[in-house]
Amino acid sequence: MDTIQKEYLIALDSVSKAVLDRFLKEQNLSLKPDELDQLRELLGRNPSLVELHIFNTMWSEHCSYKSSRAVLKKYLPTKAPHVVLGPGEDAGVIRFFEREGRKYCLVMAHESHNHPSQVLPVEGAATGIGGIVRDVYCMGADVIGVMDPLRFGDPEGPKGARVRDIAWGVVDGIAQYANALGVPNLGGEAAFDSSFDDNCLVNVVALGIVEEADIIRSRAPDSACRDPHDVILIGKPTDASGFGGAAFASERLSENDAVERQEAVQVPDPFLKRVLSEATKSLLDLAKHERIKIGFKDLGAGGISCAVSEMAAAGGVGAFVDFDKVNCAIDNMRAEVIACSETQERYAMIVPTGFSADVLRIYNEDFELPGLYRGAGAFVIGRITKDKRFKISHNGRLVCDADVDAITTGIQYDRAAARKKPAPRGVPKDPEPGIREALLALLASYNISDKSKIYKHYDTEVQGRAVLRPGEADASVSLFLPGEPVGVAAACGGNSRLAAVDPYFGGVWAVIEAARNVACVGGQPLAITDCLNYGDPEDPGVFWEFSEGVRGIGDACRELAISEDKGVPLPVISGNVSFYNQSEKGEPIAPSPIVACAGRVGDVSVCRGMGFKENDSVIVLLGDFHASIGGSEYEALFGIAGESLPPAPDYDMERALHGALVEGIQRMLVLSAHDISHGGLVVTVSEMMQGSDPFTVGCVLSLESGFPGDAPEAHYLFSEYGGVVVEVPGRCWEEYRRVLERHGSTWFEIGQTNRSGGIEVRLPEGKIVLSADEMIRASKGKCERLFG
Amino acid sequence: MAKVTVIQFPGVNCEYETVRACEAAGLEARILRWNASLQSVKDAAAIVLPGGFSYQDRIRAGVVAAKDHIVDAVVNAADKGVPVMGICNGAQILVEGGIVPGFEPGQVELALAPNRMPDRTGYFCTWIRLKRGPAKCVFTTFMESGAGESCAPISIAEALAADGGTIPMPVAHAEGRFLTASAGIARRIGNGERVALYYATAEGEVARDFPENPNGSMAAVAGVTNEAGNVLALMPHPERATWFHQIPRSVGGYWGKQRTELRAGGLFVSGPGRGFFESLKRALE
Repeated sequence: MDTIQKEYLIALDSVSKAVLDRFLKEQNLSLKPDELDQLRELLGRNPSLVELHIFNTMWSEHCSYKSSRAVLKKYLPTKAPHVVLGPGEDAGVIRFFEREGRKYCLVMAHESHNHPSQVLPVEGAATGIGGIVRDVYCMGADVIGVMDPLRFGDPEGPKGARVRDIAWGVVDGIAQYANALGVPNLGGEAAFDSSFDDNCLVNVVALGIVEEADIIRSRAPDSACRDPHDVILIGKPTDASGFGGAAFASERLSENDAVERQEAVQVPDPFLKRVLSEATKSLLDLAKHERIKIGFKDLGAGGISCAVSEMAAAGGVGAFVDFDKVNCAIDNMRAEVIACSETQERYAMIVPTGFSADVLRIYNEDFELPGLYRGAGAFVIGRITKDKRFKISHNGRLVCDADVDAITTGIQYDRAAARKKPAPRGVPKDPEPGIREALLALLASYNISDKSKIYKHYDTEVQGRAVLRPGEADASVSLFLPGEPVGVAAACGGNSRLAAVDPYFGGVWAVIEAARNVACVGGQPLAITDCLNYGDPEDPGVFWEFSEGVRGIGDACRELAISEDKGVPLPVISGNVSFYNQSEKGEPIAPSPIVACAGRVGDVSVCRGMGFKENDSVIVLLGDFHASIGGSEYEALFGIAGESLPPAPDYDMERALHGALVEGIQRMLVLSAHDISHGGLVVTVSEMMQGSDPFTVGCVLSLESGFPGDAPEAHYLFSEYGGVVVEVPGRCWEEYRRVLERHGSTWFEIGQTNRSGGIEVRLPEGKIVLSADEMIRASKGKCERLFG
Repeated sequence: MAKVTVIQFPGVNCEYETVRACEAAGLEARILRWNASLQSVKDAAAIVLPGGFSYQDRIRAGVVAAKDHIVDAVVNAADKGVPVMGICNGAQILVEGGIVPGFEPGQVELALAPNRMPDRTGYFCTWIRLKRGPAKCVFTTFMESGAGESCAPISIAEALAADGGTIPMPVAHAEGRFLTASAGIARRIGNGERVALYYATAEGEVARDFPENPNGSMAAVAGVTNEAGNVLALMPHPERATWFHQIPRSVGGYWGKQRTELRAGGLFVSGPGRGFFESLKRALE
């Protein structure tokens, strides 16, 4: 079995183009002609069918970052003193809290599951959660929560019926998986725009905790170079589900995919995952106790071949895998399917041969995996070799023999980027709506109306860590370690419509918004992850949008810095790129850089949430008035004349804002805080009223002295850039003004809370008044029905 | 110190927080895997069946676990008077095992049916209020007298008095509606027999309607005990209301007010759920 027998090799070099094309299509292979040439050169011969499928997966955009890598490397800051592991591992890790000499770390991972969710919403979204929690578990960590930034099409547009099905299915899939797994939901976003009619976005974020000394790496341990080590496959029996999933995520969706590509979507099983996690915990404890180093990696994109070859390559060794030892769910599975299927709930482990029996005992006997699920369990499927080759045997014959580095290094493209003209703006509604009418319409819109129908069906309480839940504040806050007051604040940011107006600003804004959200609960932002969702990278306009978005994220991270330690950027510790998101007609989605930010709250007892707390408090705008309205919800509903570009980012203001918020909240000078986003200033204040044990506290906004420029009044009221609105009790206002001055934060006193339960906005010419009832009716509108 | 055994069936997911809640009340607790030696159950001073999705809710929530060997040992212990609390999925197991209400011992007399809500079914997660029913139970009887050191400075007695005898608590389940096909049992439950806890309104009335009664449970029943009062099948999660920081602002009343006034460092004061574990501790003394 020294070489692959000739009849297993595919004669790429001696067939006509037509025959080759048909063969590639039949096999669902997306390798391009020049990539096939590169592959032949790399191997020095024709590839076997198994090798073709392995390289097809490993060279997919999803696995290899072949279009994006150069751009990410160029712009994103990934290093900071508190970063333990940055991009490149399954998840990023930062040092978070130290107790009695033990360093506890926060783990973060962020991914997309867009295409699978478009095709099979429930399963696609559920396996999105399943995949992202595995990325955190395989670091040796415990998962403490998930977030889910979502984008759906227009529920009332031409594709409305499908859009509504997808929205419902995605939310249901997330709930089914995370609830059963026992992982609380920490928030997310749900935004709607017609550019997502044919291609929803389902991004998933998972957070975890691990002690620094207990971090498990996704690589063969150093001892594997000297002593015999086994490769162990753990979990669900391998089936054909998810076969070609990574490649599928790296292609355009087509009309028939809803039927034809269902096999590329995996099947979720949170029950099995939960048992696996408990068994793994038990195993890691034993390994730690016996001082045995192991390698551990989840099986995601590319299945067995990807996980094993990557762990071997990272450890500087090779691996031999015998597919006849793999626990398969069906008989006579083809080797390329075993190699690349993305069956869920599986891990690969590399351990010293002498430790294998303990691994098998824990999974198969102590936790009875084979009894709980037919065919599940832990099985030794191969061994580590010193020759740096990745070899696979199937039915006793060698079917793959390639250099591990060749498999994992991947390929790279230099994509062309060309500035894209912004899409023509819509036509303003004639006559322009009144402020009152506009406010009610905004409150009722899909993007702004009450989303509690979504998160009330997620378990927010499990694990008992919850301090602030989705809907209570801009960021969720969870207790980090039982018995310690320190908390994790977590939030998402990103606005696809703003990014469509200015792709660079879209990247900047995603960081600013996510970090502001964290600061609004008194959290100090410490790290971000990003998921970059764009159209076809081969389209120079799209690649420009992508590149600009990444540049924006990088600039914002460097500029924001971490105020605890000046000059240190807010590091990007993990992330994901998702290309080929577009409509059936080939129109790319609105550029969607989405950022998740995690921060530290020193003492969670002071976290107060976004709802108004008291009567007679001062309402203060931290930041500035803006009239930029391009890309806003107001523009989407009513249109505007001409372009209205976003303001230049003001990082001095942003840093001052963070400082003033964190200090104000920690010293309890600020009772509530809410950042201005969807809908703008007045909508933000309305949401603070909704958060006040619905509408027990009302307010007056005193804007009768007008605005700094001559743009239409509505633009100041509904621009989405301003800053943060805070509530300061009258008795603390003098003290808080001193805090604001010390931090250099700009502020405007814009109103007062009162007992009315409604809102009164005083403007230069007249005022508008909305009662609590009117606001409730409006905000309980569209999302309530969509998800009810 | 008395040892509480928390049984880990495959698929449960609240075992760790349940242990922490026991420990917060000064009880020693340990997790026991479902296939462990039955001797460990026999040694237990009290047993908790935690929440989650044992055996993936296959067939019906709780029904597979109820047939597990280890549940035989739990039944034996319960018969001897050992306190047993089933929380959420644990309650479903106790009901499916015929351990509560036990009018005819060993018979399955109740079901926990899918939630009934006005506009949809399925999993629902929210905070509700509970008030005690007529049936005495070791987990509720000594709630206020158990306000020992671990509860200071909050007095559960004071909280109960201020809020019409109710305490706030989270629920999170898809099948929590107590139900029976037997008119006789329905009548007895309706009369309050074996009812340890009701869902209640903020004013302290028994809550008939959504959302105060979050799942449409018959007679607003939230927790059912056995004749001896040493077993409690409880749908809400006291272990998730053990500390103050876990209470959301929307809860209102006494706890909401205390929450609003919470100052820095005031985090680890006890929450309303602590009372269940304090009551157990007192009963074990």
